[in-house]
This record gives sequence, C-alpha cells and structure tokens, in this order.
Amino acid sequence: MDYNWNIVFRNYELLMQGLAITVQVTLVSVLIGFSIGGIVCAARLSKKKLIKNFAIGYILFFRATPEMILIFWAYFCVPMIFEFKVSGFWTGSVALGLVTAAYLAEIFRAGFNAIPIGQLEAANSLGLKFYVKWRFIIIPQLMKIMIPPLFNYFTELLKNTSLLSGIGVAELALQAYLLGGQTFRYVEFLSAIAILYFLMIFPLSFISRKLELKGVN
Amino acid sequence: MDWSVFTEFDFDVISKYLPALLNGLANNILLTVFGFLAGGIILAIPLALASLSKYRLIRWPTIVFVEFWRSTPLLVQAIWMHFAFPVMTGLQTSPFQSALIALVLNVSAYCCEIFRAGILGVPKGQFEASFSLGMTKTYTWLKVIFPQALKIVIPPLIGTIISIFKATAILSVLAINDVMRAAQRISSYTFKPVEVYTTAAFLAFFVGLMITLAGQAIEQKYRNKGGRLSGL
Repeated sequence: MDYNWNIVFRNYELLMQGLAITVQVTLVSVLIGFSIGGIVCAARLSKKKLIKNFAIGYILFFRATPEMILIFWAYFCVPMIFEFKVSGFWTGSVALGLVTAAYLAEIFRAGFNAIPIGQLEAANSLGLKFYVKWRFIIIPQLMKIMIPPLFNYFTELLKNTSLLSGIGVAELALQAYLLGGQTFRYVEFLSAIAILYFLMIFPLSFISRKLELKGVN
Repeated sequence: MDWSVFTEFDFDVISKYLPALLNGLANNILLTVFGFLAGGIILAIPLALASLSKYRLIRWPTIVFVEFWRSTPLLVQAIWMHFAFPVMTGLQTSPFQSALIALVLNVSAYCCEIFRAGILGVPKGQFEASFSLGMTKTYTWLKVIFPQALKIVIPPLIGTIISIFKATAILSVLAINDVMRAAQRISSYTFKPVEVYTTAAFLAFFVGLMITLAGQAIEQKYRNKGGRLSGL
C-alpha cells in the first residue's frame, strides 16, 4: 500500500477550517457551560428543596443521557417545536453547552464543598470586605481544587465536539471524513486528524495531571 | 412556539416502532457490557502492569498507546478503524466489528489509567514488607497488592460504565444497529422525528439513570463498610 501524504497538505485549508469550527464549538460550549453551570451549582447548593431538586434532576439528566442523542434531538426536534430555523452549529453547541453545564456544576460544587466553613467564618470575623474575602481567601482555594477537573472536562468536551459531525457541522472529523470519501485516502486524512486531536487534547490532559499532582503535595 | 407538536403527539408511531428502538437499546447495553468486561477488565489490567514495567521497551510503547487512545475522540477512532485500518492491513471488518474494536481499545486505555493509579496508590512499603516476609512475587501481587489496589479502583471503574454506555451511542456513525441508528431510520421513514427522537432520548436516559443509580448504590454500600473490600 502506498500512501500519499501530500494530499493532506494540499487540503490543508479545508482541514484548518474544520479545526476552527471545532475550536469555536468548544468555546461556545464552555461559555454556556460556565454561565448555566454556575446557576445550576448555586441552585444545587440552595436550601430550598424545590430548587435543589431541580438542579439535581438537571445534573442527573444531562450526565446520564448520551450526548449523541441529545444533539440529534436538539437538531431535529427544536426547529419543529419552536418553529424557527437554527443551524447545526448552534443547536449542537448549545446541546453540548448544556451537558457541559451539568458537569461544571458538579465540579464547582465539589470545589465549594472542599473549602472548610471555618475559612469563611474566620474571614468574616476579621471583618474582611467582600472583594478581599473572595479574591484572597475563597478563589485561590477554589482554583486549586477546581482547575485539574476543569481541564480534564475540557478534554472530554473537545472530544465530544466531533459528535457534531453527525448533524452535518463541518468540523474537523467531518471534513476529514468527506475528504477521505472524495479521494479514497481515508488512511491519510483520518490519521492526520487523529494526530491533530492528539496535539490539542494531550497538552490539556497533561497540564491537568501535573496540576493535580501539585495540588496533592 | 408550536406546542401542537406535543398535543398531536403520534403515539401510534411509538407503539409500532418501540420494539425496534428497544432492540437497538439492547445492542447498546450489550456493547456496554462487552466493552467494560473485555476492555475495562481483561485488557486494562495487563496494560496497567505493562505501563508500570521497569523495562523501558515495554513501558514506553504502552504509555504511548494509552495516551493516544485517551486523547482522540471515539468517533474518529471508530471511523479510522472502519475505513483506514482495512486499507492498511487488508483485513475486512464489518461495521459492528470495527465499532467493537474501537470501543474495547478506547475503554482499555481509560481503565488502564485507573488500574495504574490504583496500583501506584498502594504504598511501596507493602511490597517491601511482603518480600521481607519471604512471600513470592506472585503471592505478593495476588494477596497483598491487588486487594488493596481494587479498593482504590472500584469507584472510578464503576464511573466508567456510564461513560461507556454514552459512548456506545457514538458508534451509530458506523451504521451498527443501535438505538441512535434505529431512531434515525424510523424518523426518516415515518417523518415523525419529534416522537421518535424523544422516545429514544427517554429510553436512553432511563438506562443511563439506572446505571448511575446502581453505581451510586454500590459506591455507597462500599463506603459504609469502611472501605473494606470484603463488604462488597
């Protein structure tokens, strides 16, 4: 079998367009995930039973249902229910964003739960102002606990963006698959994007693990 | 908003095609069980031992393999297995076989890391103590190290089962007859995507919920016994 790696470089631009869409989907999902995840986390920590149970239900639903099904549901059902046209890019990103929110809410909660209540009480009894309390007492401790799992989840998210190829979003995986189909050079294109994904994801997971080890010591 | 989609929900379609969806879901569950047993247990333990080997020639290839499979999306792995692997080797695989190979290798890489962390979590003194008591290497591993490592490994290992179940839905890209592919086929045949996809989503959620709750129950039970494995 002879391989023709030049073909990958000749279609460099299409692959880079796919890569750009992959990155855009990730960023949109992270933004949605952070904002809704923060709200869900606040609801999860609420003392009101109704709000708390709603948050528990949200987290359970989005963590237990396969992302693939959520994305397809959003793509086919949302336009019919809400009667408006929306691109695959946005339905897919929002669906992934809602899943991200459920995971981030749990990461935030784990962070808040890990800070001893005495830290807050001590800060209050010292009469520290709101800004000082959050900036110097709470956030630094939260960061240490939350950053490794956050990075870890970002790697999962980056991998899950490939699912959007199922609904026709021309991200990296779909671009390579289509180029492979046109040229019958599946080995070259699929291997090339596997390496590209690896180059994006491995550094993130590496940082995550290094920080985790640092946090333990 | 067009709520008539819900008021005119066509239950006939669901009752007619529910067996097909359930059949697909059964395939998802089958793949999950097989993926977990073959990848998560049978393949992952030797990989974990190899990644801790003192010989660089064994250790480094294993680590590269594991990191590569952990750092690429399953979707790409499945497509690669089905379209690129046969070209490279000349072996023809059916969609189901390629999907299964990709899933098993993916799961093995994830679970290898879990077992590795479990074995590394056993204090080094345990090895030294057993050797100084004159225990053989096999005996040390089986009776001293593995029981302790298992204690660390079980909660994250159970956590991977839900991930595997969610991953099986991805394999529908290779046209294996899972719940996603069944839903796609039925909805393009009946033109009732809302009914079909909603039913499929609820079925999948139900299975995912059961796996999650069972996992939590096992974890809880295990924790109540003070983390002693005999309590399991």
